[in-house]
Amino acid sequence: MIGDRVAVVGAGMTKFVRRAQETPKELAWEAAHLALRSCEMTIDDIDAIVIGTAPDAFDGVHMKSEYLSDGCGAWGKPVIRGYVGGGTGVFAAIQGWYHVASGLFDTVLVVCEEKMSSCRPHPQAAFLTIFDHTTERPLKPNLLWIFALEMNAYMNRYGLSKRDIATVSVKNKRNAADHPAAMLGDPDITVEDVLNSPVLAWPVQRLDVSPVTDGAVALVMSANHVARRVTDRPVWVEGVGWNLDTAYWTNRDLAYPVYVEEAARMAYDMAGISEPRKQIHIAEPYDPFDYKELHHLEGLMLFDRGEAPRAAADGVTQRDGDLPVCPSGGLLGVGNPIAAAGLMKVAEIFWQLRGEAGARQVPGNPKRGLAQAWGDLMQVGTVVVLGV
Amino acid sequence: MSLLHRIEHPDDALNWHGDMPTEGRYTAGIAGERFFREIKEKGQFLATVCLDCDITYMPPRLYCEECFSHLDEWVEVGSWGHVHTFTVVHRDLDNEPLSEPRILAFVTLDDADGGLVHYLDEIEPEDVYLGMRVEAVFRAEDERQGSISDIEYFRPV
Ligand SMILES: [Zn+2]
Repeated sequence: MIGDRVAVVGAGMTKFVRRAQETPKELAWEAAHLALRSCEMTIDDIDAIVIGTAPDAFDGVHMKSEYLSDGCGAWGKPVIRGYVGGGTGVFAAIQGWYHVASGLFDTVLVVCEEKMSSCRPHPQAAFLTIFDHTTERPLKPNLLWIFALEMNAYMNRYGLSKRDIATVSVKNKRNAADHPAAMLGDPDITVEDVLNSPVLAWPVQRLDVSPVTDGAVALVMSANHVARRVTDRPVWVEGVGWNLDTAYWTNRDLAYPVYVEEAARMAYDMAGISEPRKQIHIAEPYDPFDYKELHHLEGLMLFDRGEAPRAAADGVTQRDGDLPVCPSGGLLGVGNPIAAAGLMKVAEIFWQLRGEAGARQVPGNPKRGLAQAWGDLMQVGTVVVLGV
Repeated sequence: MSLLHRIEHPDDALNWHGDMPTEGRYTAGIAGERFFREIKEKGQFLATVCLDCDITYMPPRLYCEECFSHLDEWVEVGSWGHVHTFTVVHRDLDNEPLSEPRILAFVTLDDADGGLVHYLDEIEPEDVYLGMRVEAVFRAEDERQGSISDIEYFRPV
């Protein structure tokens, strides 16, 4: 591992909502302001800014990070925007890490924002052009196609039922009921509710999917010597990893996310983790769809291939289970403002490891957790391991 | 290069057309909502002030860009100022000639830092000069929508 240790010392987030009155800049500012306040720092204490935000078309602003910059505290500072689609939120934390680990900066403010309600008639339309313009677009594809084909491949390889997968949606929406910033928390939701929701593209049904959301999240990251000064409870970045599979989704193994495994291996190596099932105490894998949480848990090597659904059914991934998964409520419950949702997962691990997660707090004083996101053309994995 | 450099017409190669069928629905935001409602209801400008940085933000902002603090000090600012710079626009977005050239000016307001880019009217292009005193002309109250177009244009004082 290069350079000095890097810590997360502060975090903040807006409420995740369906339609924010705030401008995207105002959302970014609110999250950034809260993150700074959480560690009693001011913008003058920050050396550099990392901005994470997904497709420009969502907010309807081309060159969105330039537009967002003043809301992210970027006035008069070195700034970078990273972009790996849905993987952006966790990747932004990775960028924050290497800004500090490189020795260039002592303190970095990482801000992720998305305002999807701007995009009409539906943010789906902004994804139309990710499909190949000659072989796929004439078929009038919908983004859900990829997920439906992937989910069906996953279910069939391991003989899984819809019921096996719906438990994830139920768990996360119930967990989110304890999150003050959540949009879709529901303590009473049942598997039957998921199974009875409208079919969008079989096997994907309405309640298998996370919602269109507006929101922002920010982290303050710092070098070791600053972290020691500003907090007595720094949370250390122990490992980071990211990896890209082929851009052709027709040439990928849709039932197993090998790019997540490669990203996890990179992060585990850096963190010195040889037995992730023993050494990871809490996980926030990316869950824009319920099957993706299971898919990713297997890619992260936290369960054998095809075994995550059984573990979920046995309660292992519940907040009080052996491996709490998405105790925040995840994208399915808290909401999915794309880049902000990924960074929310890193923030959740930060709060959990500090014992600051309130009603969401997992028992047993977890010492190490991971956050993972997925995106680009559905072929990038981004992983951050945090520990205390 | 292959065939492409010999293509004289776009249809000489197989090609497809497509668009990204989205439109944006934007909000004015927390600070912007108050700014535009004031224009709509009273025909005047509001600004926010950062007392620490001595900056009067017009249009108003929710936070100070420089010190990042929340701004809740609101002041009324006059709708007059001077031409900081200007241009005379002869073509529209599709490169079609305008029936009449229009003057576009960056107007610095007397009571604020920064200002607005807007049209200038009631004057001929050859008579405009930098530093010229101008004021905003608001539409009639019943025509105002709460948007930047509630200012019809700026004109010489
Ligand atoms: Zn200020």
